[in-house]
Amino acid sequence: MRRIKKSLKNRRSQSLPTQNDEIKNKEHLTGNLKENIQKVKEETGNSDDIIVREIRTGKERKLNAALIYTDGLIDNRSIQDFILESLMFDIQDIETDKKPSSKENQLQQLKDSVLAVGDLKDITDYNTLFTSLLSGHVILLLDGYTQGFAIGMKGGKVRGVSEATTESTVRGPKEAYSESLRTNTSLLRRKVNDRNLWLETKKIGTVTKTDVSIAYIKNIANDKVVEEVRQRLDRIEIDGILETGYIEELIQDETYTPFPTIFTTERPDVTAANLLEGRIAIFVDGAPHCLIVPALFVQFFQTADDYYQRADIVTLLRILRFIGFFIALLGPSLYIAITTFHQEMLPTPLLINLAAQREGVPFPAFIEALLMEVTFEILREAGVRMPRTIGQAVSIVGTLVIGTAAVDAGIVSAAMVIVVAITAISSFIVSSFNLSISVRMLRFVFMGLAASFGLFGISIGLLALTLHLCSLRSFGVPYMSPLAPFNMEGQKDVLIRFPRWALFSRPRLINQKNLKREDVSSPKPESQKRK
Amino acid sequence: MKRAIHLFIIMFLLLNLLTGCWNRRELNELAITVGLAIDKSDDEFLVTAQVVNPGQVAAKQGGGQKTPVTTYQEKGSTVFEAIRRMTTRSPRKLFFPHLRIFVISEEIAEEGLGRTLDFISREHELRTDFYIIVAKDTRAENVLEVMTGLEDIPANKLFSSLEASERAWAPTMAVTVDELTTDIVTKGKHPHLTGIQVIGENRRIGGRLENVQEIEPDVKLKYSGMAVFKEDKLIGWLDEEGSKAVNYVQENVISTLGEVPCPEEKGKVAIEVIRTKADLKGRVEDGLPKGTVKIQVEGNVGDVQCKKLDLTKTKTIDDLEKRAEKKIEKLIESTITLAQEEFKLDFFGFGDAIHRSNPDYWKKAEKDWDEKFTDMPIEVEAVVEIRRLGTIGNSPLEKIKD
Repeated sequence: MRRIKKSLKNRRSQSLPTQNDEIKNKEHLTGNLKENIQKVKEETGNSDDIIVREIRTGKERKLNAALIYTDGLIDNRSIQDFILESLMFDIQDIETDKKPSSKENQLQQLKDSVLAVGDLKDITDYNTLFTSLLSGHVILLLDGYTQGFAIGMKGGKVRGVSEATTESTVRGPKEAYSESLRTNTSLLRRKVNDRNLWLETKKIGTVTKTDVSIAYIKNIANDKVVEEVRQRLDRIEIDGILETGYIEELIQDETYTPFPTIFTTERPDVTAANLLEGRIAIFVDGAPHCLIVPALFVQFFQTADDYYQRADIVTLLRILRFIGFFIALLGPSLYIAITTFHQEMLPTPLLINLAAQREGVPFPAFIEALLMEVTFEILREAGVRMPRTIGQAVSIVGTLVIGTAAVDAGIVSAAMVIVVAITAISSFIVSSFNLSISVRMLRFVFMGLAASFGLFGISIGLLALTLHLCSLRSFGVPYMSPLAPFNMEGQKDVLIRFPRWALFSRPRLINQKNLKREDVSSPKPESQKRK
Repeated sequence: MKRAIHLFIIMFLLLNLLTGCWNRRELNELAITVGLAIDKSDDEFLVTAQVVNPGQVAAKQGGGQKTPVTTYQEKGSTVFEAIRRMTTRSPRKLFFPHLRIFVISEEIAEEGLGRTLDFISREHELRTDFYIIVAKDTRAENVLEVMTGLEDIPANKLFSSLEASERAWAPTMAVTVDELTTDIVTKGKHPHLTGIQVIGENRRIGGRLENVQEIEPDVKLKYSGMAVFKEDKLIGWLDEEGSKAVNYVQENVISTLGEVPCPEEKGKVAIEVIRTKADLKGRVEDGLPKGTVKIQVEGNVGDVQCKKLDLTKTKTIDDLEKRAEKKIEKLIESTITLAQEEFKLDFFGFGDAIHRSNPDYWKKAEKDWDEKFTDMPIEVEAVVEIRRLGTIGNSPLEKIKD
């Protein structure tokens, strides 16, 4: 284990090849337009999606200028309306130079009265030029000037906001994040209209230079955790970030655990709710999910619907989810343990029934269970990977394999089919996909323990699991809180979801300041309230 | 990291200490034993085990080819030895936790239960929720070799029918091994066990499927009477009335029936007992032991054969109650007389009551208590209260002319 870790670390310390490029690109723009254009073309390898448009501008059309942009990342109409037209025609009507203009003045005038665009910044070196060029800015270079402009004009085709697919709810907003970072942050802004919602963006990935944003509510989130997130993100040295999963693996507290210590969601409303509890969201450009830290174990049992439906039914559903979690985790292992070690625990008629089913089954219960569970995992994986059009064929074959055919063939007993089926269904009741994956893995461990040690094995396994869970931390917060360390106030949103008016405080371990959420007691008529 | 590895190794080693159940057995390797019978054969024990044939019991098409159970028999100088020797006959090792019924032969009961009880209390595979019965007028092995109709597994029939009759018909008593042992070792108390009889002419048929292919099976199993033990030795049988009286006194009656003759004509009124309470007390007066039994019974009118009985009058009900009280008092008194004169044995447990009320006296009397008991005056008092008349008022017989 240590050797593996060492080798992992060694590879990380090797420097990345692109770093040399960056130093080279720090050089300044020259005053010569032709040279500048030549340089850009060279560096981008004459890629044909880099468009260079040379124009003449100025009062007497004396000034040579060039617009450089990446086709597809830019809104073409806007270039037409607000840059090309302004520079080529509108500039004629504007009274520019009352005084003989210095070069500085001319640039200032261009900015002030010609370019009718919002997002505009100065560029002086090649490094910023390329970054801007390749992230949806139009570059304006002028002959004779060592300074240019980067004009934000993002456009082109992006997927629109669509309905949430993995976290669907009965009641509540349907929208989900899409791949564009800006769309995603705007969805969040629409939920939280407060100046305290702060966004910090940095580029991560020496090659991909992906925008990664941290979002938090300044007066709620714990500054130390925010600082920790910043530092962890800064420490990332990688060539590319393509999905939130990259970030998750690079910043999580503990790699060697089956449990997720970072929460992911595709819903803006879930993000907003978490920010209000003092958590921090991490958006990655190009990923339709956002990461939420710190994550708690119980958080994976909470769904958006839990807070939109009535409290009583939510409580029942939540208890059901916890039961489902344990069935998914222990179902087959309990069956194995009881039928091979503790037959005396079964009522006599049931024992006789089960024994009758097992007459003629060639494998021990453990192998039988393993066979069925592996078959089910194969079917599940096939269902995810294969083209959607063949889905039906697989489900038909699946019902044959995990069904009466297997029983009739005498390979497994009928009771085992039921156990595997209920386990499979229960693993879907765990609302978070991340957590149900860990349950899937641990199930096999528990089956092994049950087959070799019976209920003792299961107890030992559960003990070890509890110890492990209690040792986990997510950004400094104990993973099992508010269960361990126990916090009475926190219990209001674990097994039982208290009514909204009773949930007046934020999770204590996540927040250090601003604990109070609201100032309402039970919504009774004024006359009935106790003073 | 090093520490974690060490911890893991330590935990793994500790895990090996917990292998008390290192006897993994698949369900199809078990011979689920539901009934055990013990007989005397020369100087050895003859043990008969009734083992379930799961395929036949749970078969969807009703089986019919083979019997739902099979029996194995083996001899041994101890019960344990006989059971282990059974593996030479049975393909699987016997599995005892699901034992339902334990039949002891009369012969063994007469010699004393002690030697067999040790094994069944000591063996960890045996639970204590099975019932112990005594085979009456037959060998214990025969009891396990009778096919039963409604319940496929004969031992299950014995188990549930004992439970049902204990609940609805007083003269039987379901006794588990721990209750039996407690009764044997408690001074001033003696155990009782229900008897089982095999009824039918042709006993060979009883063990065949043919027996249950008829509406009225040739060979049947029936509980009857109660065996009276002196400590662990059987000394005699009580008939139905006597068993009922014992159960009344020991507060074992859950529900039963009491009959009272009609006041003015032939016929009877049956009273369904729904709740009873018994108070058995012993005291010492002038150095002599005295006992009282107080029985409180609540009941409903269950069956009326009298024409002239007007049940709508409270006086009639009072009268019925009085008669029922007399009946119960007489029943108990006569059984006490039987105990004092014929058995010369305190099987009601008055000694235990005296022990509790006057421990000093008990210490002196303990040794020859059964002798003292034979002269002990015992007062019996019964209180009967009739609560309901059922779904009709007066009997329709009233309107029928002879």
